[in-house]
Amino acid sequence: MFSFELFTQALLAGIVIGVIYALMALGITFIYSIVKMINWAMGEFYMLGSYAQYLIVAYWLGPDLWYIAAILSAATVFFAGWLIEPILIKPMFTGGIERRDDYATVVTIALLLLLRNLATAISGPYQRTPGTNLPGVMLGPLPESGARFAAFLAALAAIALFTLLLKRTWLGLALRATSQSRVGAQTSGVDVLSLDKLAFGIGVGLAGLAGALLAPVFMVYPTNGVVTTTKGFEIIVIGGLGSVPGALVAGVALGIAESLGATFIASAYQNAYGFVLLLLVLALRPSGLFGERLRQA
Amino acid sequence: MKYTSRVAAFAMLLLASLVTPPVQAQEPVTIGLVVPLSPPGDPTAGQLIRRGAELALDYYNGKGGVLGGRKLQLSVQDSQGRPEGGVAAYRRVVGEDKAVAVTGFFHSSVNIAANEVAKSIGVPTIGTQTSAADITAKHYEIAFRTHLIDPLRVAAWLEFMQKKGFKRVSMLAETSDYGIGLVTETDRQIKEKKLPIELQSLTFDRTSTDLTPQLLQVKAFRPDLLVNVGVGAPMDLMIEQAATLAITPQVPMLVSYDAPIRPQFWQLHPNTGDKLYFIAYYSPKQTLSEIGTWFTKAYEEKYKESPVYSSLNGFGDVAIIAQAVEQAKGADPKAIIQTLETGKFAFWSSGEVTFPKADGVFWHNFSPPVLILQFQKPGQDWKEAEVMFESGK
Repeated sequence: MFSFELFTQALLAGIVIGVIYALMALGITFIYSIVKMINWAMGEFYMLGSYAQYLIVAYWLGPDLWYIAAILSAATVFFAGWLIEPILIKPMFTGGIERRDDYATVVTIALLLLLRNLATAISGPYQRTPGTNLPGVMLGPLPESGARFAAFLAALAAIALFTLLLKRTWLGLALRATSQSRVGAQTSGVDVLSLDKLAFGIGVGLAGLAGALLAPVFMVYPTNGVVTTTKGFEIIVIGGLGSVPGALVAGVALGIAESLGATFIASAYQNAYGFVLLLLVLALRPSGLFGERLRQA
Repeated sequence: MKYTSRVAAFAMLLLASLVTPPVQAQEPVTIGLVVPLSPPGDPTAGQLIRRGAELALDYYNGKGGVLGGRKLQLSVQDSQGRPEGGVAAYRRVVGEDKAVAVTGFFHSSVNIAANEVAKSIGVPTIGTQTSAADITAKHYEIAFRTHLIDPLRVAAWLEFMQKKGFKRVSMLAETSDYGIGLVTETDRQIKEKKLPIELQSLTFDRTSTDLTPQLLQVKAFRPDLLVNVGVGAPMDLMIEQAATLAITPQVPMLVSYDAPIRPQFWQLHPNTGDKLYFIAYYSPKQTLSEIGTWFTKAYEEKYKESPVYSSLNGFGDVAIIAQAVEQAKGADPKAIIQTLETGKFAFWSSGEVTFPKADGVFWHNFSPPVLILQFQKPGQDWKEAEVMFESGK
């Protein structure tokens, strides 16, 4: 049932969802590049962002001020991360822990379970939505919901701002230095432990922002972050661990692969096309599209 | 001294017999309740079924319990809507809590998986809201059900489509036993009955949140009706995303189960729920049995809202098990199975429930009538939704 119109619609839908996926993955890759750990609870910070958006919009600001609510939600999640990091993550570097990767995995999976169960206990397992008053838009031949289009634009803006922060500010310089060499940065006077706290907050704040922006699109419930975690990890492996451009390119590639695959091959395997792409990339470039090969002693 | 010791020993024995009543009289009868209480299952359904089951306990324990004074108690386990979760939950309620029968099943895949274990363990199951044919079509001795089965649901909506003159129908179903079962059965009945309906069937993974690729194909097909065979969040996402792509309301949507009667429906779909068709199994205009009337009153007092089908069936299934224990004069699962097969049981609806050893999917099965309701305006109470179709009429 191929038609050019259907192809264009599927392609555009893939690009839109791909950019949103990229925002979901950005936090994971950023935290990895600075703190050198995989945060398995990233989806739960997305979930916290979506709940914050729901509460702020439904009980305080209303749907017209969704953008202020999204900033407040991201800030809330940033502070949650900022507070959690010294308790759970910092001991990885200060507690004399030998197997840091194992420690990070155990701690973040425990955090995942805690946050998910807390959400279920406090709000119940039901779906909720903050609602939206944004009118629908036409992207060429593709009708798109106002909320999803706004999330798409906001995701692009967030990625651009984040890139500017990294490339044009002293903080960005310190972050990039730390990502290249923690010891080198520390030797140059960078307080890497404080930077870890900030980086963890920014990383989970980005996930929270994605959750807030997508709350009216994909709804709010305790396990809505599962998609963020699975897609996020696919994207950072495809794009290359720690690479911001890699996250954007891989997110869009994943979105397009899923959309075209589900439209023209078999709709039931929508989630499998990403893994096919991932396997292909790993076979051709094991370090990912934008990943750097590192030689370790 | 000897005499004093004997008197003291006798007094102690007497005291002990007064303090410790017979063990048998106190031991409660446990009923297993395997329900989805967290995603990817449908937790709303799980909670509603649980409410009904708990009130059934209140009803029977308020009357002094069963078997001359033994209280009923529930062992509740979360299946998460996953087959493996359902199997673990079944094993736990039967193995650890010694449940004499297990009910509450909402997801067909969970019920089917649990039945595979139950057939060797021997503790019966009653499907509360599971409709896949395989649950009873396999003719397992332990498998019972009080819910609408796929062939009847499909027959009902095909008759409805015929009446409405829908010729091109898109069916978007999740890749679960429920979804695939309904797609297969619809296709089979269209061919068997030689109906003039062109069916487009598409499936999606239950964990998917973006159904745009599937819905774009639906739009390109230009159907007269879109059948939404999602359960829980996918069902809600499909309602919203079909409206975004301007498929609905031009193309009407039929939701495959009674989710739109739930209290949060209009909060989730304030602008997209209008004119939606949905399957229902209960209408407040129905005549209820004596215990059904008690339940409705008790439910309204406790939860300050009217009961819905999930709660009614949760109540009804626990009531059936309680009556089976009573009629079997014991809590042995084998005796309960035999009683379920031969006995007659009061249910929430009027008339008696039986589980005959009937042919095919009708084995050990009791089906409620099928209704198709339609909302007439945004925010409408489901009890006022128009009855567009009723099976058998």
